[in-house]
Amino acid sequence: MFASRPELPAALATAIRPTAPASSRLLPVAEPLISLFPDGALRRGGTVVVTGSAGWGATSLGLALLTAASTSGHWCAAVGLDDPGVVAMAELGVDLRRVVFVPRPRGAWAAATAELFEGVDVVLARPPARVAHTAARRLLARARDRAAVLIVLTEHRDDWPVPSELALEVTEAAWHASGRLVNRRAVVRAVGRGITGRPRYVSLWLPGPEGAVGVAC
Amino acid sequence: MVRLVVLWCPTLSREGPRGEEPRRFAKVLDAAVELAPFARPVRLGVLAIPSKGPSRFFGGEAAFAEHLGGVVGPLLGGAGRVCVGAAEGLFAAVLAARAAVLVAPGETGTFLAPWSIATLRDPDLAAACQRLGLHTLGRFAGLEEARVLERFGLDAVRRHRVARGVDGELPGLRDYAALRRLDAVRHRDEPREVQRGFFGERGGADVRAAAAVHRLEQRLGQGAVTVARLGGGRTPDDRAALVPWGSVDAASEARDHVAPWPGRLPSPSPASIPSRPLAVALLDEGGHRVTVSGTGLLSAVPARLEFEAGRPRLVAAHCGPWPMAERWWGVSRRRAHLQVLCSDGLAVLLRAERSRWWLSGIYD
Repeated sequence: MFASRPELPAALATAIRPTAPASSRLLPVAEPLISLFPDGALRRGGTVVVTGSAGWGATSLGLALLTAASTSGHWCAAVGLDDPGVVAMAELGVDLRRVVFVPRPRGAWAAATAELFEGVDVVLARPPARVAHTAARRLLARARDRAAVLIVLTEHRDDWPVPSELALEVTEAAWHASGRLVNRRAVVRAVGRGITGRPRYVSLWLPGPEGAVGVAC
Repeated sequence: MVRLVVLWCPTLSREGPRGEEPRRFAKVLDAAVELAPFARPVRLGVLAIPSKGPSRFFGGEAAFAEHLGGVVGPLLGGAGRVCVGAAEGLFAAVLAARAAVLVAPGETGTFLAPWSIATLRDPDLAAACQRLGLHTLGRFAGLEEARVLERFGLDAVRRHRVARGVDGELPGLRDYAALRRLDAVRHRDEPREVQRGFFGERGGADVRAAAAVHRLEQRLGQGAVTVARLGGGRTPDDRAALVPWGSVDAASEARDHVAPWPGRLPSPSPASIPSRPLAVALLDEGGHRVTVSGTGLLSAVPARLEFEAGRPRLVAAHCGPWPMAERWWGVSRRRAHLQVLCSDGLAVLLRAERSRWWLSGIYD
């Protein structure tokens, strides 16, 4: 009947494209952290391991990874953090309405994490001890299957026995104090797939004077 | 003794095979709380309300009792009967509800007298009294307290006081197990629907997340999954709380956490807040304890920080203290906060309270 099918406007064509473009397999991260990630975002189905000596800001870094994902409407969970600084999370910019906490999973942190992958996009987990190889493998498979992101918070790199998409390590941290603790300059090393050659070093305000993350000069 | 209005729903007093009574009684309770905010459950099917406030509001106790019966009656459907009674003390008020009478003020002793001794819920005491010919509460109340103590012991003295109308709290009258279950029912069923996302809508992601949390709660138990709630306050632990998923607190949006709070501790806030109080020792150069004076000054410059476990750390710098004297009108609380920076890069927030130092947060 139609000799020639009318052309769709370009904006409409992209809007109704049925296949998920590559960008939807990515979850956003806060702007100062973009340079740590090869894709500039968290990749669904991937794992990020965050390490650092106690008190050097590894927890802040892990929580900061939830900011943009939660504010853009993705559900997040924190498993095994029995002492989360909720006010600090709010200051970092995490939307607390989208975060559930499992502070004390009673020895079942892996099972709890696996269960949360069913409905939550980003799970930040702090294992109580070194993770067994099989448990880690199983979690990885589950995260990949459910297209969720697993962020593991450990003190030592070896506590997570399988290779991860990305490993972030706080290598240096120094507070600046002037009448109060003002900000902390932290150097984060990023190693992983997609980062070719030498590891990438980024220095951050973790946190900045108002509690948010920023890029340090 | 406080004068109480007690409402008794006989059909909801015993849990049936289908176990729907707690849920239906929770509805009754909610309706009663709407009328009188201090309505509290006593056991399954029984709730008590202090009479004074609602009586004045509704124009008399009789009017209030009638209004309460009128509100609760339709909730029970056709079969349910509602009994309302009032008297001084919980025990007498519960009996008054069973008899569906409003006992006149000051008449509670006379009202109690003809009731059977078995109402005191102690079969041994009841049997002994029956053998002695004391069949009613009035006869038992007529005994001297010293004689009751001699013959029956301390527990019987408590029941004797109840029988005399001096005390209303009969041991065993409140069914705490049922109250806990009732609490779980009330706080689980309804607000779960209220947990909403942006602009009150529930997207597919919210439904999936709620389902995952629900399964996790079944595995780990009620209250294992929490959400954060921000409120007003000066310190990080005052300003935030983790409340169970789906509880009433979680559903209510925090309103005042953006409002300014004079005396609030400066940002940034610690990323870890210990869930249990941890005592630490803050020492000066000479190994003496550092204290905070009444005017909010440190007694010496801190040099060493010792945790209960682990090696002591050297203090590189400190900021503060920020003294706080709060709630002078009620349970007053005096404390001072201090930020301590250790030489190895660890920064902590300490709190001086009750002449000790406590770990309030770690800037991790």
